[in-house]
Amino acid sequence: MSPVLIARELTRHYRVSRGLFRPAATVQALNGLSFALEAGETLAVVGESGCGKSTLARALTLIEAPTAGSLQIAGQDTAGADHRQLRRDVQMVFQNPYASLNPRRRIGDQLAEPLAINTALSGAERRARVLAMLEQVGLRAEHYARYPHMFSGGQRQRIAIARAMILRPKLLVADEPTSALDVSVQAQVLNLFLELQQQFGTAYVFISHNLAVVRHVADRLLVMYLGRPMELGPAERIYRKPLHPYTQALLAATPSLHPEPGRQRVRLAGEPPNPLEPPAGCVFHPRCPYATERCRGEVPALREVDGREVACHYAERFV
Amino acid sequence: MSLLEIDNLSVRYGPADAPPVVDGLDLRLETGEVLAIVGESGSGKSQAMLALLGLVDPPGRVAADRLHFAGHDLLALGERQRRRLLGKELAMVFQDPLAALDPSYRVGFQLEEVLRQHLGLRGAAARRRALDLLEQVEIPAAASRLDAYPHQLSGGMAQRVAIALAIAAEPRLLIADEPTTALDVTIQAQILELLLNLQRERGMALLLISHDLAVVAECARRVCVMYAGQAVEVGALPGLFDAPAHPYTEALLAALPEAGTARRPLRGLPGSVPGRHDRPAGCLLAPRCAYVQDDCRARRPPLDAKRQSRARCFHPRNQETP
Repeated sequence: MSPVLIARELTRHYRVSRGLFRPAATVQALNGLSFALEAGETLAVVGESGCGKSTLARALTLIEAPTAGSLQIAGQDTAGADHRQLRRDVQMVFQNPYASLNPRRRIGDQLAEPLAINTALSGAERRARVLAMLEQVGLRAEHYARYPHMFSGGQRQRIAIARAMILRPKLLVADEPTSALDVSVQAQVLNLFLELQQQFGTAYVFISHNLAVVRHVADRLLVMYLGRPMELGPAERIYRKPLHPYTQALLAATPSLHPEPGRQRVRLAGEPPNPLEPPAGCVFHPRCPYATERCRGEVPALREVDGREVACHYAERFV
Repeated sequence: MSLLEIDNLSVRYGPADAPPVVDGLDLRLETGEVLAIVGESGSGKSQAMLALLGLVDPPGRVAADRLHFAGHDLLALGERQRRRLLGKELAMVFQDPLAALDPSYRVGFQLEEVLRQHLGLRGAAARRRALDLLEQVEIPAAASRLDAYPHQLSGGMAQRVAIALAIAAEPRLLIADEPTTALDVTIQAQILELLLNLQRERGMALLLISHDLAVVAECARRVCVMYAGQAVEVGALPGLFDAPAHPYTEALLAALPEAGTARRPLRGLPGSVPGRHDRPAGCLLAPRCAYVQDDCRARRPPLDAKRQSRARCFHPRNQETP
């Protein structure tokens, strides 16, 4: 089976004006990212603010073209392709469902709109599909004629998911889909994501800052820092034994419900550097507890170590 | 006498018959204790603390049988006395540090203002103390940060400055309302550690308000779980999370993805928190509770802190019969 999504050296740079008297700078928001994703698989992308996760989401959903590198969706190269067809195959769910739904339209009509644009279904057929989809996401037929403000946050996110899934996309990109939700509601929405994936075989790119949520949904994990991949591979393998010091620090910083008393925290000092002036060598070296002279000068390549890819000169040390 | 004594606190908005947003809250906090209040949106956790600080403005109404802090009756306090108390003995840190800082004044000026107001420090002494405070909250290159404006700081740095402001006058109680919710996870770990270190070093009481059970588990020794305006369970950690008595606490914990739940359905609570207009007659959780029985729908269970029942439930979970 061929992958639904193939990214090769995906790169997105932004020119940023720094005012009248200084030259414009370049932010390397996404720098040489390669991966492939199969149908029915979930790639989770984690990292802190400014790591490039949302830039990746915008590239995958064809909102922005990459500066360099290539992107293949459903066997088709996105450069120069007919985006109309591709947009049926790629859908997106955002963090804030209230912002992504039109407050002045009935939700049934909003769900029917993608069908009206992209399919030749009749009005009655569209309505039937919408009603079936509503039921699938745990809403009822009478919700068809209601407006977004009449729903709770969790229900609105269900509606947003229903709208994304109604075209049976091959790829769903979800950017922090549960971050605005309370934990009991988050659980319902995560369950819904998993159910729908089982049923439709959709590939998910699931972007989140919450490592506990990610562990729940991910087959594969991509850890990013300052626009670069740090570690990429099978999620459970990485969670059990993170090889990149940044992944280790992220996991150590994630609070746990059952903290071991007296546990040694690998506390990460400092904050991510200014993306306008990324450090030379490994971008993580200013915060890395193991950094050496080599890390300051030489950019570590992403290479295979112990069944996953890691961008660290000393990854073997942690195997 | 406890440092903070709250008996039957309620906060109401709207008509007299509207359900209160904080409903009969009882709470005790001792000197130097770390207590967390945890709950989802609309649980009343923030409203309860705003009431404590006298920050509930009309049309909101606050009532309590007792609302005492360090011997002061907070309900009887005049505006002038309250201002003298707040920021000095009772300080707070909020979720959004940039909202807590004044955008048009330098960090140093804002710190010196607190020091002048509450401790009477001026000039070079205030400057020295301000620098000292920035160092205590572990701001690198603290001397240069005194002249920074809030917008020049990252979220984590701004929260450190907000903490420095809060501890400037050596408060006996620090209320932190979702202090790390807007921060990245590695910065969150730094800020929580900083708060706990300050709490230990100064023997200050810390009241942490959070929606994040894992953060609470890492920080607090006692927790109060709130649901729909009511405290539903109060007790010590980690015991309370290991064996929760209230079905709501149990459901919250089950809804959290943790190691080992991967790709399995999470057991959560069906439905959502009752709104103002659809409050059940009996237990507020009854429509969502997996263990609901007839008496739950008929009467509202009490929470009696003095007796053994630490959960507001007729049929508590995890009860060992002695």
